[in-house]
Amino acid sequence: MSILANKDTRVVIQGGAAGVNAARRMAEFCYLIKRPLNVEAFVYPPDAGKTNEVPYGSGLIAIPIYKTIAEATKNHPTINTSLVYIGADRAMKGGMEALDDAHIKVVSMITEGVPEKDAKLLGAHARKLGKVFNGPSSIGIISAGACRLGVIGGAFDNLVLSKLYREGSFGVITKSGGLSNEIIWICSQFADGITTAIGIGGDAYPGTDYVSYLEMFENDPQTKAVVVVGEMGGDLEERAAEWYGAKKRRVKLIGVVSGFCQESLPKGMKFGHAGAKEGMKGEGSARSKSDALKKSGAIVPATFGALGPAIKDTYQELLKSGQVKEPVEPAVLPRLPKSIEEAMKADEVMVAPLIRTTISDDRGDEPCYDGYPASELINKGYEIPHVIGLLWDKRLISKQDAEIIKRIMMLSADHGPCVSGAYGTILAACAGIGLSQSVAAGLIMIGPRFGGAVTDAGRFFKHAVDNKMTVDEFLTYMKKNHGPVPGIGHRVKSLRNPDKRVKELVGYVKSLNIKTPCLDFALQVEQVTAAKKDNLILNVDGTMAAVLVDIGFPVDSLNGFFILSRTIGLIGHWVDQKRQDSRLVRLFDYLVNYAAPKRREVPPLK
Amino acid sequence: MAKVLEGPGMGLMKKWGIHVPQYAVVTSADELSKLGHVNEWMKQSKLVAKAHEALGSRFKLGLVKVGLDLTGAVAATKEMIGRQVGSITVSQVIVSEMIAHKEEYYCAVKSTREGSEILVANCGGIEVESNWDRVKRLCLEVGQAPSHEALEKLAKEAGFTGSLAKKMADFAGKMFSCFDNEDAQYLEVNPVVTRESDGELVALDAVTLLDGDAKFRHPDWNFQFAAEFGRSYSKDEMEVMTVDSKIKGSVKFIEIPGGDTAMLPAGGGASVYYSDAVVARGGKLANYAEYSGDPPDWAVEVLTEKVCSLPGIKNIIVGGAIANFTDVKKTFGGIINGFRKAKGDGKLKGVKIWVRRGGPREKEGLDAMRALKDEGFDINVFDRNTPLTDIVDKALHK
Repeated sequence: MSILANKDTRVVIQGGAAGVNAARRMAEFCYLIKRPLNVEAFVYPPDAGKTNEVPYGSGLIAIPIYKTIAEATKNHPTINTSLVYIGADRAMKGGMEALDDAHIKVVSMITEGVPEKDAKLLGAHARKLGKVFNGPSSIGIISAGACRLGVIGGAFDNLVLSKLYREGSFGVITKSGGLSNEIIWICSQFADGITTAIGIGGDAYPGTDYVSYLEMFENDPQTKAVVVVGEMGGDLEERAAEWYGAKKRRVKLIGVVSGFCQESLPKGMKFGHAGAKEGMKGEGSARSKSDALKKSGAIVPATFGALGPAIKDTYQELLKSGQVKEPVEPAVLPRLPKSIEEAMKADEVMVAPLIRTTISDDRGDEPCYDGYPASELINKGYEIPHVIGLLWDKRLISKQDAEIIKRIMMLSADHGPCVSGAYGTILAACAGIGLSQSVAAGLIMIGPRFGGAVTDAGRFFKHAVDNKMTVDEFLTYMKKNHGPVPGIGHRVKSLRNPDKRVKELVGYVKSLNIKTPCLDFALQVEQVTAAKKDNLILNVDGTMAAVLVDIGFPVDSLNGFFILSRTIGLIGHWVDQKRQDSRLVRLFDYLVNYAAPKRREVPPLK
Repeated sequence: MAKVLEGPGMGLMKKWGIHVPQYAVVTSADELSKLGHVNEWMKQSKLVAKAHEALGSRFKLGLVKVGLDLTGAVAATKEMIGRQVGSITVSQVIVSEMIAHKEEYYCAVKSTREGSEILVANCGGIEVESNWDRVKRLCLEVGQAPSHEALEKLAKEAGFTGSLAKKMADFAGKMFSCFDNEDAQYLEVNPVVTRESDGELVALDAVTLLDGDAKFRHPDWNFQFAAEFGRSYSKDEMEVMTVDSKIKGSVKFIEIPGGDTAMLPAGGGASVYYSDAVVARGGKLANYAEYSGDPPDWAVEVLTEKVCSLPGIKNIIVGGAIANFTDVKKTFGGIINGFRKAKGDGKLKGVKIWVRRGGPREKEGLDAMRALKDEGFDINVFDRNTPLTDIVDKALHK
């Protein structure tokens, strides 16, 4: 048996993130005691209509969120308890809403910093309705083996260590959240554990006092003794002493009170919980409380440290008198499933990776490119082309190669607004589309007819060089197997109107005195093709391709150089249109050859 | 509980219709003489000047001067401003008109578990202190307002008769309105006097304790709360308070000059048991501190630095119960950083550190603390199997 919280307790949690966290802790306890989750619903207007996902074992349970308590209890009529995790300024309204619902019998408020008047009004309202209002500032309520309300009891390991999976014989009432756990632990180590532990909150006027709970414990046959952890301030301990001393009680009472240090502190200096304040005339001191408890017949250890042995003595007496029997521990307890990360850390599972990377690692304090920290590359004078070399080809390229790449990028960064890529981006920008989508619209144009021939050009030139083909053999091979040679031919440029970019690049590379078999071959091809038709010249794609193959870049990366370079231009076009606040553009109909059938009658639908 | 100085306290009473003397809070003698030009009452009445600070025994300290004319009040203000009493520097003086009166009475409203209690006595000043049995009470449930009949009955019980009983009932009613509407925890007027000029009851003094937690619904509380210890907060205490106001969870720090045992425990409840244990063992507390509610590690680090900066400490008690949801590894991480910083600054020489804790990730946290030994810290670490306050016994074992 237990008090307040038991196997029939069904809960609604009022509040957001803190409430969801509590539900997770409660689910861990439910899992430990092999019972279904006791949280039925949340009330949190901003998320009404959605669900909160609460892990239970290795699965997830979806708990609905409602706007009001009434909606929650209408849909879940078994709800009888509410936990309030609402902010201090709205806590009273939420608490009242719960108390006023006919289904709800117990309201426990976790919120801290609730105005004293609000707490009193809630307590008074609950008493009028014959309900329990626990808190504010309550850490929660836990009944061993039956029910957990809130985060009381701590982490899963602690629940097991404190034997909260099965009933003991000791009731616990504390103001302090942290000490509730400590006492639960002590009861499990020095005795057979707890029945129910209640955090009543450290405020000056908690909604329910020790006496009300002592009465409940007195009427719970399983509870043989109650541990009360008190503090200076207020008169709850004195009232408990009065109750205990008034007549012969079935339960034993063990009490400690904190605040003796007050006696030797500078006058007026007070600290601890809000409620830990001595009265104006010295009433409520630790000493007066402790004396009152002693006088009532309660067991009052001199210090907190002596509490364990006192609990042990009490337990031994109970054993001797036959009132309690040594508990039987279950042979096997459920273990909380570990997260993948935890299990891997403990070398318990092996997970087949989903993807594999060989170029970069972000797990340290900065990214490493092929193993080299980015900051070190910067500080040792490396530049963007070196990063390209590392990420595209996993090698640190030479200073000279880097200079070639830089020049390629500078030459192909943009080619005016009329080409497909820039025009695509400008159209999108004028339609009010954002940067990334507009740039993507331009990038989509890159393909076999626009900028996308670099890879293929490189591939075929390389094929020819690798196989020691002559130009004629190559042109025959291409005609037979693939069609026009990629990298050869230009829409507007010709022998008479050469492409300055090609001239510049070829000139620079040639000046370096390096071996350029692909470029040489491409230039030989141009001589033959341009002789046939004067616009069949080596274009910028073909030139880039040949050079890049010559400095060792893999064929598959070659289009990347154009895509990367041209992205600089596309971003420029988008920003340019944005800066001008350009209007939506559309084609003029005189730019369209309307070759569709003339207007005609629609035949009847058959 | 938040203490409010006399000036703003009287302001709240005035707001709820209680007669108070004319008063002004000034920060310099010059300001007072300028006010004297525009306020007739300052020229016409005898004046009282009091240091407007959270100080006890102001009379004995010479910080209350009565029966002054304006020139005298200006002189008194000049003398009081800037005076150093303990850690407090007088920065404000409240000047009010003296109310000619014969009889003195007492009225207070205090918070009780059930609601509130109105206290009335037909004696006042120091007389009521020695005749506490003459104080009569009216208990009220929360949400309940006193009827005029009940208040008049109370006044009569306290010995007021005739029209004075009616006036006292009215006065107490207004006190209750002020108490209830301003989220007060304690209001006391001692003395209440009958103003000879018009026979009205006037509050000559105000003790006002408000519920700081209710500040959110009182946008007109534009005054600062006074320190409750009869001293102002130190720089380090203020810094921790600033951190506390910004974070989830809490960090608290109060200095106790002259102590040699520094406290750095977790939890509002456990921290007091640790303090008790130090006192019981004959130790002298150098401070009170507490962190709870899973505060961020940087906040605990700030708190740790302040604790390590306390002068003359021999032991630091890093105690704590078994936490419910405070992450032990994370919060200890903050403490460890604080310790390292302090050591780097040449602090913690010869200081022994004592640790006991449990809770989420306790093993990792305690292991990290233990590892500090290798860095040359004199640290002793215990887990949940060592009872809560045993580290204090070990630390103070002679």
